[in-house]
Amino acid sequence: MQLRPLLLAAFLVLALSAVSADAAQAVWSGLVIAENVPQPAPIPPELTGLEQTLKDLFGYNQFEVIGQSNKTLKTGQEDWLANSKYFGLHVDARGENDSGYSLNLKLYKESDVLLETDANLSKSSPLVIKGPQVGSGQLLLVLVVKDDEQAHRRRHAEPANPITTAWQRLRRAIHNALP
Amino acid sequence: MKTFEEKWTAWLDGQLSGKELAEFESSLPDLAAAEAEKRDAQKLGAFLKEQLTTQAMSNEEFFSHQLHEWIARESAARHRSTSTWWTIPRLVWSGATALALFVITTVLLMSQHQPGEQSEYLTQILQSRVDPAANPNATISIFESKTDNKVTVLWTEGLQSLPADYAAK
Repeated sequence: MQLRPLLLAAFLVLALSAVSADAAQAVWSGLVIAENVPQPAPIPPELTGLEQTLKDLFGYNQFEVIGQSNKTLKTGQEDWLANSKYFGLHVDARGENDSGYSLNLKLYKESDVLLETDANLSKSSPLVIKGPQVGSGQLLLVLVVKDDEQAHRRRHAEPANPITTAWQRLRRAIHNALP
Repeated sequence: MKTFEEKWTAWLDGQLSGKELAEFESSLPDLAAAEAEKRDAQKLGAFLKEQLTTQAMSNEEFFSHQLHEWIARESAARHRSTSTWWTIPRLVWSGATALALFVITTVLLMSQHQPGEQSEYLTQILQSRVDPAANPNATISIFESKTDNKVTVLWTEGLQSLPADYAAK
């Protein structure tokens, strides 16, 4: 008879850990100028994980962030703007789903809309949009779902919860098993 | 040396004899009354012996009855326990049915995810448009990077080029 409350408690811990794992997330959106220069500057920290992919895709050796926004999403219904001097990327989040966020993106050049896109931004899959040629370089729009900084720091400061770890390993295994 | 009570009990039971019997009977103040008491005691002894033998019989019957009742209760309990719906064959069938349902559901769910369909773990571009007046030759394509970080790329071609000043922060 004492097994039932134990199971219930374990289920609650799992549910809470799963919820807390997904709760605090931010979308980093950036306007990036990619170009080839003789002495490239180091890649900005926000793009570190994408460096090789960006280099392979576009063939440039330097990526400079000219405008950015790091928006923590609480309801999944927020909107925000990443601005440079001439460009603006307006992101309108229209809800959260199982895999990420439903977004409407508009790239402005001053007041003109150059490009409009509706996308489901996955938490595990960054989005890169190739924009117009700017001088000898290329404008890129990059959107990445990241863990919120505070949640990230808290998670690293605290010892790992073995139940959460097991749960995440199970989720990862299921994800990998799916075709 | 025997006490009087011991000699009296032995005399009542007829266990005194010879010199001892003669001495004891001569010590009694009223032999006739003692003889009458001895007869009563013997009668009582005979009666008790008879009754105790009967009692032993009835005890046997009682235990036999108890045993029958216990067997009857056990049989009823066994009958009740075997009359539950969860018999072994039904358990086997239930397990097989549950397994079949699980397999069918899994196959259905897996078949809903077509091989060519984009995974929900990748970013999906639902629709995309450029201003056709400003960019009449613009084309849009979508693909995923082959690298580990699963980047989804929206690739535009033919957008109007802009001067380098637009790269300003």
